[in-house]
Amino acid sequence: MSLLRGLLGMELIGISVRLFLDFQEKPASLDSALILDVPLGVISRIEKMGGATSRGENSYGLDITCKDMRNLRFALKQEGHSRRDMFEILTRYAFPLAHSLPIFAFLNEEKFDVDGWMVYNPVEEYRRQGLPNHHWRITFINKCYELCDTYPALLVVPYRASDDDLRRVATFRSRNRIPVLSWIHPENKTVIVRCSQPLVGMSGKRNKDDEKYLDVIRETNRQINKLTIYDARPNVNAVANKATGGGYESDDAYHNAELFFLDIHNIHVMRESLKKVKDIVYPNVEESHWLSSLESTHWLEHIKLVLTGAIQVADRVSSGKSSVVVHCSDGWDRTAQLTSLAMLMLDSYYRSIEGFEILVQKEWISFGHKFASRIGHGDKNHADADRSPIFLQFIDCVWQMSKQFPTAFEFNERFLIVILDHLYSCRFGTFLYNCESAREKQKVTERTVSLWSLINSNKDKFKNPFYTKEINRVLYPVASMRHLELWVNYYIRWNPRIKQQQPNPVEQRYMELLALRDEYIKRLEELQLANSPKLSDPSTSPSSPSQMVPHVQTHF
Amino acid sequence: MEFSELIRTGQAQAELLRGPEMPPLRGTLCVTGHHLLLSPGPQATPDLWLLLLRSVDSIEKRVAGDAGTITLRCKDLRVLQLDIEGVEATLDIARSIEALSSLESVITSFPFFYRPKGLRLGESWHFHPPERYYKRVARETRAWRLSEANEDFSLCPSYPRAVIVPRTVDDDALARSARFRQGGRFPVLSYYHAPSGTVLLRSSQPLTGPQKRRCAEDEELLQAVLAGARPGARGFIVDTRSAQAAKQARMTGGGTEAKSAYPGWKRLHRPLERGRPLQESFVHLVEACGDLEQSMDRWLSRLDGCHWLSHVKAALSTACLAAQGMEWEGACILVHGAEGTDSTLLVTSLAQLILDPLSRTMAGFQELIEREWIQAGHPFQLRCAHSAFSHTRPKHEAPIFLLFLDCVWQLGRQFPLSLEFGEGMLLALFDHSYASPFGTFLCNSEKERCLCEVRTRTHSLWSGLNQPKEQRKLRNPLYAPNPLAIWPSVEPQSLRLWQGLFLRWTHPPEPSEVAWEKVWQIATDQEKTEGSQPTDSASEPQP
Repeated sequence: MSLLRGLLGMELIGISVRLFLDFQEKPASLDSALILDVPLGVISRIEKMGGATSRGENSYGLDITCKDMRNLRFALKQEGHSRRDMFEILTRYAFPLAHSLPIFAFLNEEKFDVDGWMVYNPVEEYRRQGLPNHHWRITFINKCYELCDTYPALLVVPYRASDDDLRRVATFRSRNRIPVLSWIHPENKTVIVRCSQPLVGMSGKRNKDDEKYLDVIRETNRQINKLTIYDARPNVNAVANKATGGGYESDDAYHNAELFFLDIHNIHVMRESLKKVKDIVYPNVEESHWLSSLESTHWLEHIKLVLTGAIQVADRVSSGKSSVVVHCSDGWDRTAQLTSLAMLMLDSYYRSIEGFEILVQKEWISFGHKFASRIGHGDKNHADADRSPIFLQFIDCVWQMSKQFPTAFEFNERFLIVILDHLYSCRFGTFLYNCESAREKQKVTERTVSLWSLINSNKDKFKNPFYTKEINRVLYPVASMRHLELWVNYYIRWNPRIKQQQPNPVEQRYMELLALRDEYIKRLEELQLANSPKLSDPSTSPSSPSQMVPHVQTHF
Repeated sequence: MEFSELIRTGQAQAELLRGPEMPPLRGTLCVTGHHLLLSPGPQATPDLWLLLLRSVDSIEKRVAGDAGTITLRCKDLRVLQLDIEGVEATLDIARSIEALSSLESVITSFPFFYRPKGLRLGESWHFHPPERYYKRVARETRAWRLSEANEDFSLCPSYPRAVIVPRTVDDDALARSARFRQGGRFPVLSYYHAPSGTVLLRSSQPLTGPQKRRCAEDEELLQAVLAGARPGARGFIVDTRSAQAAKQARMTGGGTEAKSAYPGWKRLHRPLERGRPLQESFVHLVEACGDLEQSMDRWLSRLDGCHWLSHVKAALSTACLAAQGMEWEGACILVHGAEGTDSTLLVTSLAQLILDPLSRTMAGFQELIEREWIQAGHPFQLRCAHSAFSHTRPKHEAPIFLLFLDCVWQLGRQFPLSLEFGEGMLLALFDHSYASPFGTFLCNSEKERCLCEVRTRTHSLWSGLNQPKEQRKLRNPLYAPNPLAIWPSVEPQSLRLWQGLFLRWTHPPEPSEVAWEKVWQIATDQEKTEGSQPTDSASEPQP
């Protein structure tokens, strides 16, 4: 970690704490006071180090652990008890839940031109997919979250399954998360269905309604004689879950289905793996044997397994071989990863900025990925075993795909990083709470601003200059260790040695690329203007560039 | 010598397997003096498949029943399999390939027979003489002159006829300095850095020997360099060996510049790997990349174990050191190792790419390679005799030029807009440096090329590459001239395996090729709109 010396000042500005460091000896690389803006939401842990009697330099002060792969350490002077005040204020505002204070998003009064809460409308999204149709219907059975409190109000289920059937199936699925449609293939009409594990238990219980229900799903497509079930877990974990009442679909009970395990590990394994990544990149990058150290974190291996699973799901559906049911234990972590990644591979719409927002809003937020528990918004219990970087892992997979298909995504790397930053920041309501019912109760859409408001009112900043819109192209990334990379611009962005490169080469590169794109657009326009007699009238040309941008982009 | 003596068989029926995603080819296989030909039957595609025999690195034959299989591992890291009808035919073809691919004679090699349409002999050979670079230097400073002391290659057999030296040093002094340097490689100008008025020089090690001999003219030469730069200028000698190795070299007559003998010059040791260890690193890496069976979760540590990326890192950091010395400290830099024909050239050429925007253009990069590698006497024939697959014990082989190309690729990855050429150019240079129909990379020095009359009897690679039809593969569509120095990050996480080269043949064609094509389309969109036909976008209704 780089060592900077000076007077520390602190100011709470809205949702951020702004830390000032006024230097006694100014480092050559910096020309003014250092200002660190740390969103309070990003703080995971605040610790006092050393006591009044500590001796030695830098042994007394504050240690701040952040959720976004960095730590800050402030060595203070013992005189004046300034530390106690600082500690108390920071603790109070970083962990508002423990102090009966509201989360910052509820205090945020920012205004944007666009209302991000309007981005996702489930009815519209299903209509875009061609739903309802002859085989699938929209049901409001969960309107008041009575069937399943962690599911959205609006669900798509087989036409032939009655609401009573759904209620009976719910009794046999963990937390009542019944199989419902996530995505339907526009041509071959095979579907991706998501749910939680069946409550088989030690005794190997069966449920006729559940068996029938899955068969009804299979029969929505005549050509299929087997339904494919992907259980995201490793086989042994699925078996072990029987002890706590869960389990998986057995061959005996589900004749017309085949089950595959995808070997993706649980939230605890992922959390520990990311911790190891942090160990090798912060504060210093492990210089010798970097690649071996990276390997020993297993992070990329987990990424590989998640991507491999999603590729299998996508391939089944795209080839029309069969419809697919995806579940893990509760169906809100690994399941969300698999369905959303498969949908991203299959449906180019989700690769646009708004499409991706809808994907996140639908598969993650509305279907009850437990953001509050996994991130611990405003909560001081940093060691909570419920915390896990599942959503980060998903975004990492998206990044890997965007690396392998540099022209397939409308958004750029910064878009993904901003999403992750606000996953923790608590500035927006988007990722707050565990499920839709809780969000509705707290009136999140009325009382907070959506992250998509920020993004959609500055869309240009988040655009990939090389985006080429292609309908119907299925993306199969190469999920081999040879082709996966550590996302250096995210995981190692706080490394002081990287940051000191001025100007930040990544930022510079983006600006260059975007400027370049603009230049191409301009050149193209000029030539089009020169070619097209009806536009050559000088009076129309000053206003035309801005008008022409949208259609030139589709031309890309 | 007649090639026909080495060709054991006329032809045979064969099937060619070219890798996972390529369809097999069936047809008549035929060995000629320089090529392996496969002409498909009338029902198949009319394309003739052709392989330059020189590009075969190793050959393996197997016979079973009345058929045989030949596996060809090529210098461009491709692996080809030929299934041949008939045991005799298989063995004959294998023997013919073996004999013809390992011919050592330069003047019977294919470049002396290659006469492509549209190119004229002698073209492009005049593109990059030292004289041309001297003109550029002379516009900036009067401190240097072009010396033709080496006109007959008597001072230094591995230098070109003309070299750039301090104006105040006469040809006699050069001759004496040459006698004091290994292989006669006295310090010459490699690059003049106009913004700071400092220079980059290269040489070989001084022949101090165990008695710590000195050479007044050599010392004066380096003094003259400092005097010509600016008052009070300092110099750094970047020795690409460890201090220990440099000291040991004294026992065999070499050594390094003594501090007391060269006031104003400070020695820095930055050991770079070369020779056998570098070749082994290359072989291990190619082995790892080709081993598709190995358990994938050990891939990263295996990659680590090859040390290739640490060589990339060492080369780039040493080049940065030299470049920083010039740009930030205003110092003159002399680079040498032992012979001064390998890691020395790696450092000087990379330092120029970092500092000099001109060397990052297509023409400038070709000039850089011509000047700093080919005419500077990198022994291409010895270093690139075999690539990573050869079973014979490496003698002089070392992938030092490949290491250079890899470093340039890393620069291009970190600064995607700053190089006018793209990955395709680097791949082409790699391929041609190991086996080529062009004469550019033939021989080990200018002297040898003169003896073989390479310039008049073969075509230059540059004339081949500069044809308009090749440009799309070679150029970077995103290029925007960048007047600044480009300082690469050499942190371990910033350096990547060059997949485009090392995994070129082992996985299906990358979508990146498709992407590249699209980027080209974006970049050349305006050309399309120049036509009178309405384009898709132009015919759309206006918003």
